[in-house]
Amino acid sequence: MDSWECETLPQRREGAKENGLFDNAGLNMKKSPPKRALQFLRWFCREDYVEEIEGDLTEIFEKQYEVSPRAARLRFALNVIRYFRPAFMKSFKFFNPFAMGVLLRHNLILSLRSFMRYRMSFFINLCSLSVGLACALLIYLWVGDELSVDKFHEKDRNLYQVMYNQELANGIVTNGKTPGLLAAELAAEFPEIEYATTATWVEPRTLSVRDDYAIKAGGRYVSKDFFNTFTHPLLEGDKDHVIDDVSSIVLSESLCMRLFNTTTDVIGKQVVLDHEAPYQVTGIFKDVPPNSSWKFDFVMAYERFEKENDWARDWNSVGPYTYIVTREGVDIDLLNKKIVDFATPHRKEGKEISLFLARYSDNYLYGHYENGRATGGRIDYVILFSIIAVFILVIACINFMNLSTARATRRLKEIGVKKTLGASRKALAFQYLTEAILVSFFSLLVAVALVWALLPSFNVLTGKDMSLRFDPSAVLAVLGVTLLTGIFAGSYPALYLSGFNPVAVLKGKLRISVGEALARKGLVVFQFAISVVLIASVLIVFRQTQYVQNRNIGYDRDNLIFFLKEGRALTNPEALITEMKKIPGVINAAGLGHNLLAHTMGTEDVHWEGKMPGDEILFEYMFADYGMIETLGLEMKEGRAFSRDFVGDTTAVIFNETAIEYMGLSDPVGRIIMESGQPLQIIGVVKDFNFTSLHDGVKPLFVKLWPRYAWNIVARIDGSRQRETLRAIEDLYKSFNPGFVMDYKFLDQEYQALYAAEQRVSTLSRYFAGIAILISSMGLFGVASFTAERRMKEIGIRKILGSTSWGIVVLLTSDFTKMVLVAVAIALPVSYIISDRWLDSFAYRIKLEWWYFAVAGVAALLIAWFTVGLQTVKAAAVSMTRCLRMNE
Amino acid sequence: MPGQNHSLGEFEELVLLIVAAHHNEAYGVLILENLEEKLQKKVNISAVHVALKRLEDKGFVRSRFGGITHDRGGRRKKLYSITALGKKVLDKQYALRTSLYQQIPKISFG
Repeated sequence: MDSWECETLPQRREGAKENGLFDNAGLNMKKSPPKRALQFLRWFCREDYVEEIEGDLTEIFEKQYEVSPRAARLRFALNVIRYFRPAFMKSFKFFNPFAMGVLLRHNLILSLRSFMRYRMSFFINLCSLSVGLACALLIYLWVGDELSVDKFHEKDRNLYQVMYNQELANGIVTNGKTPGLLAAELAAEFPEIEYATTATWVEPRTLSVRDDYAIKAGGRYVSKDFFNTFTHPLLEGDKDHVIDDVSSIVLSESLCMRLFNTTTDVIGKQVVLDHEAPYQVTGIFKDVPPNSSWKFDFVMAYERFEKENDWARDWNSVGPYTYIVTREGVDIDLLNKKIVDFATPHRKEGKEISLFLARYSDNYLYGHYENGRATGGRIDYVILFSIIAVFILVIACINFMNLSTARATRRLKEIGVKKTLGASRKALAFQYLTEAILVSFFSLLVAVALVWALLPSFNVLTGKDMSLRFDPSAVLAVLGVTLLTGIFAGSYPALYLSGFNPVAVLKGKLRISVGEALARKGLVVFQFAISVVLIASVLIVFRQTQYVQNRNIGYDRDNLIFFLKEGRALTNPEALITEMKKIPGVINAAGLGHNLLAHTMGTEDVHWEGKMPGDEILFEYMFADYGMIETLGLEMKEGRAFSRDFVGDTTAVIFNETAIEYMGLSDPVGRIIMESGQPLQIIGVVKDFNFTSLHDGVKPLFVKLWPRYAWNIVARIDGSRQRETLRAIEDLYKSFNPGFVMDYKFLDQEYQALYAAEQRVSTLSRYFAGIAILISSMGLFGVASFTAERRMKEIGIRKILGSTSWGIVVLLTSDFTKMVLVAVAIALPVSYIISDRWLDSFAYRIKLEWWYFAVAGVAALLIAWFTVGLQTVKAAAVSMTRCLRMNE
Repeated sequence: MPGQNHSLGEFEELVLLIVAAHHNEAYGVLILENLEEKLQKKVNISAVHVALKRLEDKGFVRSRFGGITHDRGGRRKKLYSITALGKKVLDKQYALRTSLYQQIPKISFG
């Protein structure tokens, strides 16, 4: 066999040489077999067979051609098809694993060498990609965490909250609070419902096991099937019967540890709430996970709440939340239709309400309702930040593309030589892709380190508790994103660089087409456009949050503290308030039944002279004590505030301006209105002030004197003596109300917390905008340095001919200036539209001034100039002889 | 004959015989034409190629490329010749057939 092979080699080469010759000859004779069939044969046939088969087929073809050219061609094609079978086909293994390994290793070495050689661009690529990936990772963690909220319940798929829409004169109002009797009635009526439970809000309570030791924790009342509806695994107790008794209490694991220092043998032990009501521990549940929207430390029987609050048995009052679990396979639309009018017949006095079911786990992200329709909510921010993450990654990828293509001129020879030596376009493209992917994986390492270092501060910023967990799906996702980033970043350079014509390249005659130059400029423009949009948005978000927080809301929020009445403060608040006022630093104090931060309570059962049917509107309900209006510093427009000097004030009411305007009462003071069947006299009108979030405007307000229901005490203190005043109040509270922990809050701080979401968006967008700009300018820096380098000779000649350094700086900068200007022109309308839409969600919003956008544009331009300037000044200052001597 | 690899189909045998007859000169089209002439029927070239590949796999023939010819679009011929093993197989087949044939009683079919 050996001798055979030796023999064939020289012949083979000879054959190859003459091949072309005869191909041409064949063409000239016009006797060549059908081209398509031949191409097809060559495409599928094994390399070692193709020559023989092709030859034999051609020979037959030529012989037949003499007889009938058409038949010959047909025959040839049919014959080719006959060969289309496995025995003659190429192997399906496109890559030989061994060759792949060699190729890969070769590519890796080449990539590493090119990193070493072009350290600057490698460094820029690494920085921008790793920062980009780190941002994307952080946002990925945050988005994942947001999406996981409330999804941990086992019955999540069938877990619904019952909510209702109510049509009022000023639109449809959506409420998640329902009549307390609803859950039990629904469960009895509809077999589709597997479990239904009622649960209240979470309230801070004082718990004690001994007289000298009390702690504060948040608890809620829940009805029987709570632990069947929600997944809060019980360590102790039976989930069907754990809250059967009115005096039962179920503690969280950590609360149990805090109270008893153990979780064993605590069942049946006594816990006293607010130093008066004894409860028996009947169970322990696992701590509520951080991704639960409700956070509570213990639960009590709802039956007890019902006993203590008469209104909870009234269908006209709403307050608790109703949750249901439907049976598997229940059509939820059908059930929705069945329950829609369920509550109305029970409500004799109240207006009709339409019940509907909302997925419990959707409420967190889609919790905003406008006019009865779900209009998003937090999901907007989730989407916003996901988009930002993608944009930042894209900006980083563009850096890579730009640098690689700009660098191409320096690698032309390498490419030319490789191509002449027979490197295929595929192999070259593959090499550049390997390089890009390698960089992105290096960047991933850096990014993971960055994330690991930044996560604690990011957690503070977002108010979350996230950690880098290595679960397989997340790792896979991250690796996938990195790979995609690498492929995306490498695709353009790979296709661009590998497409060069080797002859032109080696002759140094590479012409960059207009299209290519445009593409590269387009990328820079795109980067800067995104940056400008981000700068403008940051500015506007910042101004708006400032505006909201500093806006005059109708009363002075500073130095106002409030705390919950408990123990003796609840039974005898008068004495406490009197004592408090004696402290020198306390300016005023009073009871107040409202939280001043959000919609707390409402009534639509108000009747006035001239009211028409259909005029129902929701009045915000506020319980006041004597002195409340003075303590808050509210101004009266007409009439007077509540006063002990007038005996009849228990049947008096104060409205705000908006309410009077809505009711259309002229000369309101002294008029009588009816509320819940009780006649009340209007004694005053308070000037409008804000008692909810500034997303909403001022609503009609109804203030009634009812000290017993004013559950908070508010006090205005002297700001200059804050510390000693607070200590004095705490001391007083301790002696007045032994065993209770005073938990006061500053209203202004709480008010700021109300805008936490906006604050977070503001801070985060500031960081991300900064990063986007940083990455963009890194890319610009790299491109500028290459441009300067490439134009060295030009610079030298210009200088010899008398150009100043400044002239050269202008020359080199003008190109980039144009690009940035185009970017600004594109970005400004976009950012205007985006920010206008965002501002629309506020009832009180800033006007969009032209200078916000001007600042953004100028900032981008300055940043670009600065970056490019660094390079160009250096280039312009270089000695002219050196420029010219340089032999590239 | 031991092993499947040494089996020889009827068509394969014919092709092998022709290869043996045209030692060092046999190639696809030549074999095809010879077959068609002897069998007096149309044979498809792909069938010939399949048979040749099988014979080569079994080690009965070997191949080499010939020189350039002016027809066949400049493609070289692949020339086949019989191997020692191939010859042995043919001999055995022939011997078997002859011995069996000789066992036929002399019957006249007048």
